[in-house]
Amino acid sequence: MSRAARLGAFIVATLAILVVGVFIIGGKQYLFSSTYQLRAQFDNVAGLDAGGDVRVGGVHSGTVRNIVLPHKPGEKVTVVVDLGKSTHEIIKQDSIATIETEGLLGNQYLAISFGSAGSGDVRNGDIIASQPPLEMADLLQKTSGILDSSQQAIQNATRATANLDSISAKIDGGHGTAGALVNDKALYSNLEQTTGAMRDTVVQAQAGVADFQENMEAMKHNFFLRGYFKSRGYENSAELAKNEIERLPQGVPTKEFTYSSKQLFDKQDSAKLKNQKSLTAGGEFLANNQFGFAVVVVSAGMEGDTQKDLVLTEARALVVREYLVENFGFDDSQLKTLGMGKQTDTNSDADWGSVRIFIYPAGTEIPPNKQAGISSKTTSAQPTQALTAATPSPQ
Amino acid sequence: MIEGNSSAVGALRSPTGQPLSLTSPAVNPSKGLINEFLEWFGDLATFFGQVVRAAVTPPFEFRELLRQLDEIGSKSLPLVALAGAATGVVLSLEARYSLTRFGAKSLLPAAIVFSVIHETGPIITGLVVSGRVGAGIGAELASMKVTEQIDAIEASAVNPYRLLAAPRILACILMLPLLTLAGDACGLVMGWVAQALVEPLSLHQFINSGFKGASFNDFLPPTFKTAVFGLIIGLIACFQGMRTRGGAAGVGRAATSSVVLSSLFVILADVVLVKLILIFFP
Repeated sequence: MSRAARLGAFIVATLAILVVGVFIIGGKQYLFSSTYQLRAQFDNVAGLDAGGDVRVGGVHSGTVRNIVLPHKPGEKVTVVVDLGKSTHEIIKQDSIATIETEGLLGNQYLAISFGSAGSGDVRNGDIIASQPPLEMADLLQKTSGILDSSQQAIQNATRATANLDSISAKIDGGHGTAGALVNDKALYSNLEQTTGAMRDTVVQAQAGVADFQENMEAMKHNFFLRGYFKSRGYENSAELAKNEIERLPQGVPTKEFTYSSKQLFDKQDSAKLKNQKSLTAGGEFLANNQFGFAVVVVSAGMEGDTQKDLVLTEARALVVREYLVENFGFDDSQLKTLGMGKQTDTNSDADWGSVRIFIYPAGTEIPPNKQAGISSKTTSAQPTQALTAATPSPQ
Repeated sequence: MIEGNSSAVGALRSPTGQPLSLTSPAVNPSKGLINEFLEWFGDLATFFGQVVRAAVTPPFEFRELLRQLDEIGSKSLPLVALAGAATGVVLSLEARYSLTRFGAKSLLPAAIVFSVIHETGPIITGLVVSGRVGAGIGAELASMKVTEQIDAIEASAVNPYRLLAAPRILACILMLPLLTLAGDACGLVMGWVAQALVEPLSLHQFINSGFKGASFNDFLPPTFKTAVFGLIIGLIACFQGMRTRGGAAGVGRAATSSVVLSSLFVILADVVLVKLILIFFP
């Protein structure tokens, strides 16, 4: 081989090595393949360098081209990356860039997550969303905080356990109230005896009450006491509110009968009927016509005690209802009562008050029943307002 | 030609005006060591200036350059390739042992590749070439000097710097990077072979994981810094050869000193060059 040929071969061979080296390294940096650029912005790139790896789904797919510091405070550091064209199918508009560390103390690299299928394609130069990097220092600081507080919690728990231990020891040893309760059998047997005695007492008391009721019933019909109940007009004051409604219903009555209390009742303070026959017209109307329901509304004059008058009006309504139900054939659940107590503007007969029967068409809503327990204690103001609001203006 | 010759001869005067002939006793034994050392540097700088002037002005000695390229480049290739290959094997064995201890065996290809292309390849090439070429140039020029052939060249109105020194130095500068590439390649291939003998790994995989994260800054500046090694080797060998005196003993001294000094300066220059590369090619 001539000298020149030998030299030529040497030079060509070594330059070929150079070219191979350049292409190997350039290929690693995506210098000779088709790439596109993306950008991501971070507050802190945690030591990521230009030339660093970019991984998509953990696969090396590009390199960090450069990292640009912001021009003003408050802006973010921009990382520009070159990515192989093959990643274009999986990186979408909603992909997220994060800076991660290889191992615990290794190099930083940029990881880009897969986009979702429905999201739009990225274009060359787009900015994709980013998550701030997890820094070891921050992590350690947080961990230290957590350890502190958990230490405190453990101390508290230890103290609580010690207390519990002491308490349970006391209980077990029979010390203190709880200890006695748990350990002293005498208390339990006392309690059992007491409960047994109480049960007997209650049974006896029930029997006594039943007897007393019977006695009272008998007394009401006794010769000496009968007169009182008769002149009062009704026997059982517990039944006063049985059919009583809270207020007049909303709506216009189809028919209205009005009576003077003086006409109907024996005395000014009595609920005993005197002139029952005058109720016949109303009773016959109820018996012969279809209706939703009817209300017997009774009011008293301005004389006398307010509370007593309220009870009196309730009683009169009850008595009228009973008379109508007993003497005329219709569904008694359709007839309600309402004692109004003292009323000023409803009756010409100011002292005695009035009795009215309002008949409502089918479909009118029946107001709820008055609470039995508070029937006689309800304030008189409420029904007053209800009546003035709902009663059709006279004439 | 006469004008060029006279200018070359004129330049061979020291700053003090004393004629600085290559045959004159350059060093007086009574002078101090430091003085001697500084004088050596001064002479070297003057010599370098002469060579540069001779190299950049026509006529150019292409035939001689070609001969030296072959002598320094092609003929050094087997030696460099062997040295590089041996280095690759040694690196592979050593790195394997230490990386296994740290549980980072997967980094072995990267460790070999980076070590070879960064430092081992260039410095081994530099030292091997300084040994072979430095000794050759030093001895050749020294024997020409002691047999007064250089004086004859000078007398026949040919600039000895242009004819003898410039082609050799230029050939060293040009050939060292190429020899380094060859040495790197042999080192990597033999590193892979040593690795593959222990556990199966394809060359493609080896290169792939070895060059992972490598950039041009890891490859090109370390390779082309060896041009500086070439300059040092050629310059010192020519200088030591052409300033020698005495008979056969002088030839031996020149050969020895050119190898020793060029190796030393190659290593010292490497220290500075590595730092400069780290600064300018991070």
